[in-house]
Amino acid sequence: MNVEKPRILVVDDESGIREGCRINLEMEGYDVDVAEDGFAGLKTFKERGNYAVALIDLKMPGMDGLELIEKIRELDQDVVMFVITAYATLDTAVEATKKGAYGYIAKPFSPDEIFLPIKRGIESRNLALETKRLRQERENRLLEVAFERSKSNTIIRCMTDGVLVINRDKQIVLRNEAARRIIPGCENLPLPASLSALADLHEIIDFLNETATADFKPGIISREVAIGETIFMVNVSPVMEQGVASSAGAVAVFRDITELKKLETAKSMFVSMVAHEVKRPLGVIEGYLNLILSGRAGEDGQKQKEMLERSLIRARTLRQMVSELMNLTAMETGNFAIKRNPLNISTVVKEATDSCLDKAKEKEIDLSLSVEGPGGQDVVLADKSAMFSVFANLIDNAIKYTPERGHVEVRVENAGNYVKVTVRDDGIGIDAGEKDKIFDEFFRARNKYTARIPGTGLGLTVAKRFVGLHQGKITVESAPAQGSVFTVFLPMWEE
Amino acid sequence: MSEQGPLIVIVDDDFDSLEIIRNILEPAGYKTLCFTEPMEALQHMAIEKPRLIITDLMMKFIDTGFAFSRQIRFDSRFSNIPIILITAAFSQRRFAVQPQDKRGLEKMGIDAFFDKPVDPDDLLGKVQELLGQSGKEQGK
Repeated sequence: MNVEKPRILVVDDESGIREGCRINLEMEGYDVDVAEDGFAGLKTFKERGNYAVALIDLKMPGMDGLELIEKIRELDQDVVMFVITAYATLDTAVEATKKGAYGYIAKPFSPDEIFLPIKRGIESRNLALETKRLRQERENRLLEVAFERSKSNTIIRCMTDGVLVINRDKQIVLRNEAARRIIPGCENLPLPASLSALADLHEIIDFLNETATADFKPGIISREVAIGETIFMVNVSPVMEQGVASSAGAVAVFRDITELKKLETAKSMFVSMVAHEVKRPLGVIEGYLNLILSGRAGEDGQKQKEMLERSLIRARTLRQMVSELMNLTAMETGNFAIKRNPLNISTVVKEATDSCLDKAKEKEIDLSLSVEGPGGQDVVLADKSAMFSVFANLIDNAIKYTPERGHVEVRVENAGNYVKVTVRDDGIGIDAGEKDKIFDEFFRARNKYTARIPGTGLGLTVAKRFVGLHQGKITVESAPAQGSVFTVFLPMWEE
Repeated sequence: MSEQGPLIVIVDDDFDSLEIIRNILEPAGYKTLCFTEPMEALQHMAIEKPRLIITDLMMKFIDTGFAFSRQIRFDSRFSNIPIILITAAFSQRRFAVQPQDKRGLEKMGIDAFFDKPVDPDDLLGKVQELLGQSGKEQGK
């Protein structure tokens, strides 16, 4: 074990013995140091240390052998010490052994007489060292195992997913806190428990029964399982012990995917809504073209023209809907870049009003704009094109849903820390039951007044999102046949 | 517009859809009355009984068309009037509105189903079939 030579310290006041020992022991392959008295011996021992054997003369001037043995033993538990004495008595031998000596060698001695005891002593020391090392190692490992086990337990306990471990006898042998919480009947179940104790979960039990068998191959089996209102993704994998080919059971991990499923459903609902909203105008356009091409629109050029015009309106609305949809998607994914600059909202509202003048004129609607309060009180940090689209949309809506010769009144005013823009009309209004829905995607009031009015059902949705992106608020007040008032509040910008 | 043609009531909340169906039926000799609201159609039907009803499904609420056709089916005055459902209906999980067969139609209380946009010849053929011999005579 020790690659380096065993070291021996010889302490004796007789130089003949010192040197004799040195020469003979060095020839035997030992590394030897000598000291002439107790003090020198102790000093050398302290300096060089790690001696396998010390030969110590009992009678020395100054510090005697017994004292030295005692001092060395305090320093080193493992060194093998022999007493060398010319006055060998039972008493001194016992005394020396008590102090920690391994044996004694009577003077005078021949070299051969010391080789064997030294050899045995070294063997004994090595054995003791090895035992000590093994004991230490074992203690370390036990500590490590305890630590690892408690670490694993902690991790399993703190997992948000429910964990069940099932043995080959279909018994639940382990469950974590999440499993107790989320799996009905699992909370106070004494373990080990038969799988069938979880009576409500026959679907899972069948599944687990299939998987917790010896020939269950490594891999993961996943299944969606509904427990009451909750939907779980259950992943089951075999418990494979090292070096064993067959499975000892199964680990089932329960992940609550209810919210995920809800999102998935909402998403597919939305997609089918979009599909429907796209299909409707396309159907109309196809229907009109079909009428014209099949000669059903007659030879009357005016009738054909009307049908083409209606088709064009529907095509335009569809295109507008698609771009609004793209805006909405961009806003949802955070890809919508709004460039905010200080804006005079009254300027943007004026531009939006102007853009609607022609439509108002067509229906002989009185479209008016008024800006109240002192100038410069209408500055908002906002994206100009987004703001334009919000107000153009509101004014356009007001004109669309107001009968001919009606009134649309746009007003910009100051309201504390907000700029307030009001769009008031005396049009068809909104049913009380539909007021909450008008900002929803694709919602359109459908009645005899609205049947002819083209709309995407997204304009107000986009407007609300835009206003929201600017930390503003949009509200509506309305009564059927009385008109509607849409109000937008935007935080005023202060330099 | 032939005053003598059999009366067909058309209900759809989309003006253009009404126009398209009206322009299919009128040149074929049918008299049509168009409504954007089912309630108004029902009120008029009490005065003038149609020979056939064509309705959309997606009106205001998802099942307004169903409610309308059920109302007609349970009304002894109208229960024998054939109903054709034309819709841009969507189907999705747990909500498949398109009837797959005759039993599906019966279940929904309707006599025929068309996807939008309807092919004019298909619609006319079905109208004639449902109106029977008299329908054929009135047709062009």
